[in-house]
Amino acid sequence: MSSNSLRLLTSIDRRTFIGGAGGLTLAHAAASKLGMPYIGNAAAADPIRIGMIYAKTGAVADQAEYMAQGSLLALETRNNTLLGRQAEVIWLDEPTSQAAQQNAERLVGEHNVVGIVGGSLSSSALAISAVAKKAKIPFVAANAGAIDLTGRLCNKYTFRLQPPADVHTRVLAPYCAGLGKKWYLLTAAFAFGQDIKRSFTEFSAANGITLVGADEVPVNTADYSSFILKIRAAKPDVVVGGVPGNDISTFLKQWNELGMKGKIPFAEIAVGATDLWGVGPEAADGLFTINWYHKNPKNPPEEQAMAATYAQKYKRPAADKTWMGWMAMNALLDSVETAKATEPSAIVNALEKWGVQRGGVKAGYRAFDHQMVNRLLVVGIKPKITDKWDYFDILAETPSNDAEIEKVFGAQAESACKMDAL
Amino acid sequence: MFDLILSQAVNGLVLGFLYVLIAVGLSVIFGMLGIVNFAHGAFFAIGAYLALMLNRDFGWGAALLAPLLTGLIGMFVEFVLIRRLYGKEPLLGLILTFALALFFEAILRLVFGAAPLPFNPPRFLAGFVEYGPVLITKYRIVVLAVTVFALVAFWSFLEYTPFGRIIRAGSRDAEMVGLLGINLPIVLSSVFGVGCLLAGLAGMLSGPLWTVNPSMAAGAIMPAFVIVTIGGLGSYAGAIIAGVLVGVVTAMTIQFYPDWSSAAMYVLMAVILLVRPRGLFGEKWERFE
Repeated sequence: MSSNSLRLLTSIDRRTFIGGAGGLTLAHAAASKLGMPYIGNAAAADPIRIGMIYAKTGAVADQAEYMAQGSLLALETRNNTLLGRQAEVIWLDEPTSQAAQQNAERLVGEHNVVGIVGGSLSSSALAISAVAKKAKIPFVAANAGAIDLTGRLCNKYTFRLQPPADVHTRVLAPYCAGLGKKWYLLTAAFAFGQDIKRSFTEFSAANGITLVGADEVPVNTADYSSFILKIRAAKPDVVVGGVPGNDISTFLKQWNELGMKGKIPFAEIAVGATDLWGVGPEAADGLFTINWYHKNPKNPPEEQAMAATYAQKYKRPAADKTWMGWMAMNALLDSVETAKATEPSAIVNALEKWGVQRGGVKAGYRAFDHQMVNRLLVVGIKPKITDKWDYFDILAETPSNDAEIEKVFGAQAESACKMDAL
Repeated sequence: MFDLILSQAVNGLVLGFLYVLIAVGLSVIFGMLGIVNFAHGAFFAIGAYLALMLNRDFGWGAALLAPLLTGLIGMFVEFVLIRRLYGKEPLLGLILTFALALFFEAILRLVFGAAPLPFNPPRFLAGFVEYGPVLITKYRIVVLAVTVFALVAFWSFLEYTPFGRIIRAGSRDAEMVGLLGINLPIVLSSVFGVGCLLAGLAGMLSGPLWTVNPSMAAGAIMPAFVIVTIGGLGSYAGAIIAGVLVGVVTAMTIQFYPDWSSAAMYVLMAVILLVRPRGLFGEKWERFE
């Protein structure tokens, strides 16, 4: 080794040191925002840990951010305490369904969580659900809409808040049928998109609707113009979309750019308000189903309080995804308190009995498939948007009472779920 | 049916040229610096965010500065980090630029949030024109015109200016250029800056078309890599022809086999590499052999 290279190895000058320290600081800051687990309130010894798996990157990262903030808020409003002990949330990413599964295994194996909340995409939620079943850990899926999660692939440890695609379809499809009998389906090529395609295809076959086109598009498609040209040539009465997260923002921008806004109605189920906020008032268009809206005067007082706390903390209104994250986490935390224990079986039993009154409907998880029954909103874009956080007119709330629940969510006899035992 | 094919072909052409703009910067950086810049998509996103901010606060005139600012950020990154990798193991460049891509995405998310931000074309470019079966928006026509102008201007710069000659010579034998007394570090910084400027220009033009969000780089970087590979590493003409090919093939696949639309460009790349392993215009470069 030469003397020069030896000198390089043994002496660090001031500039190098400052540069290195600065680099380390930046790297640490970046890492904390990327793949490293977020651990909230980790100071206490032996706290109760809750796992959280929400996307930190990708097409649904913005939705996931709102959900994560809602979930964290649920614990914060309890002073980060459960069963009189300190509690903390460990947040891991879901860049792919495989990674979601591995992170769920890490939460169980390394962090000993008592339950998991999350799953921004159906594919991730299905993967986490498999881990929950194997490890016997309660999992509350906040956003996933794939039918199989509480259908064919249901299990005793998995609960789901988002209504599946067929439920959303039963709510929105009659509105689409009122707009015309020729439909064009544009759905994403993943589990939820395929469920939307199947549900609307079944509805159209049963109701004399003609499908003049049906395209599956890859997730993260950057340019929809070629698809829009096809739709334009097919001349449908309605376009039924099924593209997730940022993709619907991109689609609607290009839909407007190519002069289609206002010419052919667009409809999509289970959108997030943030997707439309990202489109902007000029291009926003469509008829949608959504789970919650911060401007809905019928929101129960505790939800209004949550929205106020959120707005104060984050300087922006709570989105539907905030509510979903908050609601999913609240269900799990309430159930831990009700069970007075952290044993999975006790929490699962408590989750099955958990419920809150929301208007005329008691929201809660059905014992036979663990699907939450709840009310859905049908919303349309306001003719003139003057508030950048207020895009929707609420057209309907369905089901509006307990008697309508079975009609919208389906009966036990229609469910493909064969629930296993604890 | 012919009408629809023509319409899709024109649309694919616009898309393809946008990809070319991203790919050319990538190709130039690789050709001159020998760095496969995984962070190129991040500069594309930075260009879009800068344009959005400048437009929001000062109007579209100011937004035109976004590519220039992106180029300056690129030069700074080259000065601080990239130049430490010249002549070293290529894997280090891959790792560093990949880390940079993640880092910039995290910074964008930290500053602007994860949600997409609204950004639309200027009002005077709203609307579209129809020529027979072909429908194209005014904004896309401008995107096509600006892209072609930028490509011709950059090609002329490389071909006819003394600095362009230095860049071309340096891409073949950087050491010899240095031995001739030319300040190579400044040349290399400039090249990296120009590559980032082109990415920033593509970001600025794409912002109103696509969605401005921290993950938007992903939608740009993969087609750019495919185009550079199909065209031949470091080839300017190759990148242009490959970009147009990718755009048109993708549009046609959407028309006839929409389920395959995301795979079409990769199939095209595989077929071309089977026939010409160096890409369409790829040459044997001594320094990379």
